[in-house]
Amino acid sequence: MVDESPVSGRTRRERKTRRSVLIADRTADWIIHVGGIGVIAAVLAIVVFLVHVIVPLFEGGRVTAERSAAMPSGGPRALAVWLDEAKTIAVALRESGEVSVVHVASGRVLPSVRFDFGAVRPTAFGRTIAGIDVAFGFADGTVRLGKIEIGIAILPGNAVPAGAEPLGPGAFADAQAVYERVTGDQVRKVSVAIRLDPPETVAPGRAIVALDLRRGGTAERPTEAFVTVDADGVPRISHAESKRNILTGQVRKTVSTAILPPLPAGTAVAGALMTETADQVFIADRAGTVWRYDTRDLGRPALAETRRLLSDDAGLGVFGFLIGEQSLVVGASDGSVDVYFLLPREGAGTTDGRTLVRAHALERQPAGIVALAVSQRAKTFATADSAGHVWLRHSTSEQTLLKTQAGAANVAALAIGPRDDGIAAFANDTLTTWDIDAPHPETTWATIFGRVWYEGYPRPGFTWQSSSGTDSFEPKLSLVPLIFGTFKATLYSLLFAVPVAILAAIYTSEFVHHKVRAVVKPAMEMMASLPSVVLGFVAALVLAPLVETWIVAVILAVLLMPLALLAGAMAWQTLPQARAIRYGGIPKFALMFAALVAAALAAHGLAPAFESLFFAGDFKAWTGGKVGAEEPFLAVILWPLVFVAVGFAEARLETPVTGAAWRERLRRLPRERAGVIEGIHFVILIALAGALAFALAGGLAAAGFGLRGTVVDTYVQRNTLIVGFAMGFAVIPIIYTIAEDALNSVPEHLRAASLACGATQWQTAVRVILPTAISGVFAAVMVGMGRAVGETMIVVMAAGNTPILDMNIFDGLRALSANIAVELPEAVRAGTLYRMLFLAAMSLFVMTFVVNTLAEIVRLRFRKRAAQL
Amino acid sequence: MPAAAVLSVPSASRPRAADLGAQGEPYLWMLGGALALGIAMIAGLLVLVLWNGLVTFVPREIALLTLADGSRIAGETVRAETFRVPAERLEGLAPEAKAKIAAEHGLARRTLYRTGNYDVYNDDFRWIADFEVAGVAYPDGMIFAERLEWGPFVGRLQSVTVDGEVLAASDIRAANVRAAHDLARARWQRIRKIERVEIGAVNHILERERLALRRVALTSGEDSAAWRAAAARFESRQTDAQARHKMLALEATRLKERDARDRIVLVEIGGAAKDMALSQVVRMYRANEFTWADRAAIYLSRWWEFLSDEPREANTEGGVLPAIFGTFAMTILMVIVVAPFGIVTALYLREYARQGRVVALVRISVNNLAGVPSIVYGVFGLGFFAYLLGGNIDQLFYAERLPNPTFGTGGLLWAALTLALLTVPVVIVATEEAIAAVPRSMREGSLACGASKWQTIRRIVLPRAMPGILTGIILAMARGAGEVAPLMLIGVVKLAPELPIDGLFPFVHLERSFMHLGFHVFDVGFQSRNSEAGKPMVFVTTLLLIALIAAMNVTAIALRNRLKRRFAGGHF
Repeated sequence: MVDESPVSGRTRRERKTRRSVLIADRTADWIIHVGGIGVIAAVLAIVVFLVHVIVPLFEGGRVTAERSAAMPSGGPRALAVWLDEAKTIAVALRESGEVSVVHVASGRVLPSVRFDFGAVRPTAFGRTIAGIDVAFGFADGTVRLGKIEIGIAILPGNAVPAGAEPLGPGAFADAQAVYERVTGDQVRKVSVAIRLDPPETVAPGRAIVALDLRRGGTAERPTEAFVTVDADGVPRISHAESKRNILTGQVRKTVSTAILPPLPAGTAVAGALMTETADQVFIADRAGTVWRYDTRDLGRPALAETRRLLSDDAGLGVFGFLIGEQSLVVGASDGSVDVYFLLPREGAGTTDGRTLVRAHALERQPAGIVALAVSQRAKTFATADSAGHVWLRHSTSEQTLLKTQAGAANVAALAIGPRDDGIAAFANDTLTTWDIDAPHPETTWATIFGRVWYEGYPRPGFTWQSSSGTDSFEPKLSLVPLIFGTFKATLYSLLFAVPVAILAAIYTSEFVHHKVRAVVKPAMEMMASLPSVVLGFVAALVLAPLVETWIVAVILAVLLMPLALLAGAMAWQTLPQARAIRYGGIPKFALMFAALVAAALAAHGLAPAFESLFFAGDFKAWTGGKVGAEEPFLAVILWPLVFVAVGFAEARLETPVTGAAWRERLRRLPRERAGVIEGIHFVILIALAGALAFALAGGLAAAGFGLRGTVVDTYVQRNTLIVGFAMGFAVIPIIYTIAEDALNSVPEHLRAASLACGATQWQTAVRVILPTAISGVFAAVMVGMGRAVGETMIVVMAAGNTPILDMNIFDGLRALSANIAVELPEAVRAGTLYRMLFLAAMSLFVMTFVVNTLAEIVRLRFRKRAAQL
Repeated sequence: MPAAAVLSVPSASRPRAADLGAQGEPYLWMLGGALALGIAMIAGLLVLVLWNGLVTFVPREIALLTLADGSRIAGETVRAETFRVPAERLEGLAPEAKAKIAAEHGLARRTLYRTGNYDVYNDDFRWIADFEVAGVAYPDGMIFAERLEWGPFVGRLQSVTVDGEVLAASDIRAANVRAAHDLARARWQRIRKIERVEIGAVNHILERERLALRRVALTSGEDSAAWRAAAARFESRQTDAQARHKMLALEATRLKERDARDRIVLVEIGGAAKDMALSQVVRMYRANEFTWADRAAIYLSRWWEFLSDEPREANTEGGVLPAIFGTFAMTILMVIVVAPFGIVTALYLREYARQGRVVALVRISVNNLAGVPSIVYGVFGLGFFAYLLGGNIDQLFYAERLPNPTFGTGGLLWAALTLALLTVPVVIVATEEAIAAVPRSMREGSLACGASKWQTIRRIVLPRAMPGILTGIILAMARGAGEVAPLMLIGVVKLAPELPIDGLFPFVHLERSFMHLGFHVFDVGFQSRNSEAGKPMVFVTTLLLIALIAAMNVTAIALRNRLKRRFAGGHF
């Protein structure tokens, strides 16, 4: 702007901008550009960050490292493999009783230990899910229980024995243990110890072909239970209890065995399973038939159910429990993997009324399933097929987390690390281990937004239950009940707020003196700045107990208030014109106020009578469906609707006494007389509508339609009615302000023209102003809805926070926002719940952003149109 | 109605009757009724909060009730209500009482009494139905004593012991007990000051030295020369601090011994006596022998305690000073962040960016962000500020404190930043509107005079837009001060042991968690042992919070008007 070169020789003064001005200008320019774009970017980065946190929920799993170790070839078959917690070593149990130990990182085979069976080899093998308990069955009908314990100790850095042989960076081994350096100048010592109990004869002289065991009891009095099937197909269940004599220190073990109903002759038994409490025994044959025994009463064990779980041409591959022992995984020779639940079913045809139900059918593997490994902390499991594919799966979400390939085809044993971070497979003298990363196996889009069949649930459903007291608990993370709760709260609050706010806005904008408006509008807006924690507190601690006591009066007031206003209007119409105009301002408004107060007082006074007439004297019992009939209340609800319908029909129906002819006749009369006639007409109409409503209600009730059980049900103190009312407080000022602004910004000349043409104020408002401003009013409702969706404190405090799916206005709800506020402080960082709550926040963000954008677009369009008028 | 209008036009002799249908009176009444309902709702809420907030601290008389079964209870009247008498209670009643209830449709009145003495009764509120009461009296000598623990005691004074000597019965006069009580309280305050402030400072120094040593160990390793020097320094400082600690502890013990010799014995209405240290009684008065001046004095002293003291009894008694402080500190910090950024962004959008589709889109987005639920910002704040940013800051600068987080958890700074993010759209929108309202002619005039762009903005645009900008900022403050949901995730606690600002270096502790009035309302109302005991406190806190926010709103309006006047008349 300042020319730096002199314009002519005459001006002496050097025309130069001061450096400081230039620097200031540059700096400001730079700061404002960077700051402005930065802030906009930061605000938009919220979305990016939320997405960044959410994405891992939907990534299955991945292999981060794969290693293999070659074992001496030609060794006996492996029965089972284990990984320790830190994946330092893998342990493989061989059929000969030898326990091979491999250092995972280096692949070195370390000195092995062995179970000493003598010369014989076991004919059956059983283990628990956690894995340290094993059992062997022998051809002579004996069973030997044992333990394989992987001991882990963290020791100071100088604890590595001098003679230890280095295995790799930071890893050493001596004859007894493996040492690995860990952070903080410490070493982790990992060692394997085994124990084998003396043989117990269970089936004298008959070979054991299938075996399962559980250990329980306390340290002083350990108990063992095992189930065996002998070569003749006779299943037995045995309990062993050990007692230590305090004086001698001797342990006495007593074993009691019960014989279960035998299997059909010639059954090729594939495996046996028993539950932790030993109350159920499952025995499967190679064709896939399962015999389920009810062993709750050991004196009378019974065969509860016989079922074939596979399709006709498939044979049984693997058969095992998931953690919690309520899900039965069945892998077949055709590659299919199914999960069965034991559920009570009508007409199950079993002795205990329960039956095996196929709950999940998982992705089919290319070849027959030969090995199964079960996670110790989730419903995750791995399956291997005869072609060497190893798949990691999750039962509840039915997803395949990862697919990998073992070094050889014949996978004999498979294991998942105790922390779900590794898999080991033993095949043809090769031990392959994978480091895996599958932090959120239980979540997919389908589990979050669809029906999920959880363990112990009779059917698939939407459930939110993120934590519980027990260890084997599976978090149930469906957002549907929360989204439903959000919409329920929004719906009921808008049902209350929208009419009040919009009607009040129309009145303020069109019928109130501008001086009154200057007082009323800020007063309503003040409500908008009330902290919602205050509204929540008042709703929950003051309103909720009050409404609970006076619920009938509240319902009656809702009905009486419009009625009182209408009655007031009818009375007003009988005033002479001059007086009506003179008192049309504040006095009329005061009368409206008085009508409301009168209605409230009447509701309070009439409540007991109303209750005994319509709700059989006890409202809460009535809502629960225990007493009383449906019709009276239905009729009361229908009454206003029928009244509107009847009034509308009468105005439109052209007969000599209705419609235009009636209005014309009325118009010829002086105002006072017309008012009286109109009043009588109103009373007749109300009565008529009442009669019709009762008839209609009778008909509906006879047809089986009722409100109870759907929108009206058992009453709890903190319920949706309270939330709707309190949230109405929060939403009304917003809708009111925006709607009033929209109505007010309709150009004045439209109003003037309408009035000049002889239209009344009412006609102008309803036929000219409202249609012009309707898009702005709509935008107001949308913005109000956005606020209701995201409102947190009111729902936290007043909604009872029960995540259920029902429309009952007298029951609580749990909204997305409240759920975040309640559960996020407890959620573990980067855990599944944490990410789920971020997803909940993202859903809220998306919902409100869409609603607000829609409102903004509508409003901009309206503004443009209003400017053109 | 158009059909009717056509029909009626020809009759010129029609009397000038009003067309009732056209006036739509019933509809008007529905509209007006809605407005009346809205106003009634606000007025009702405000009156409820105001009334309950103001009467909470009024000392009340103690009623001595004799019940129909002969037992006696004493307590303050809290409130009365109508209730439905449960069937099982009806059975044991006298026939006339039964008949009376039946006449009221099964309803009866009941009154809630604050009986106090939680340590004796295991309960401090009792509902007494009118039909249970045989007689009510307000005898002299009833004492209401607020205690540091177990809530108030309602009963009579039995004896007072000063320095081991029992005051003679004739000596138990108000003035003389009050003097002893005042002395005991002063002593107790001194003990608390020693334990909390002075010993706290010593511990703080010890902790700081320990961390400094650990830091040296982490950076240059143990057994290094630097570490050995630091260890020697630590030893000497530790010895100093321990000596001082010992001295203070000794003084505290001495005072405590003296304190234990001043005792008071109160006896409740059932005869159970309670012997306690005189300093345990915060305030004590004879409830039924009041003059108006006494009442006013107690009322004011309770307000003073509320505004200037720390909470006790799980926040249901005492004051809210830390919460007031926390609310202010957080709001001020938020404004410091939000004001420059909001104004700079608005300047960018209005004065620097090329107006086009992109800016229009950004503007809609910014507008919409004001409508995004506050809890979403809280989630973002926790994940991004506390865990990501704070976690990294801890790694870099506070490694010696790990695994205890310093900035890696919710705190004052992160809460203020989160709220700044939440309120920045409000400031942007308000500033943009204010800048847009400055006439173009003024800008052009300034530029034509040779002023640079920044000079124009600074000297012409900003001053004239200032009322609008300030309004925006104050409205943002009001919104921020009332917001609770995001704070629950990021730094607010029910009881903060230390204020974010104190006398210990570096004086301002932005990483500390803090208390907040809004959260206090939630916490006392919903998380405390007895929501009945907490309710009065909640009402007073609510009143304070609403007053704070209303004050901000009123300031905004007043400021806007003043500045408007100041800058009015500057048009070309």
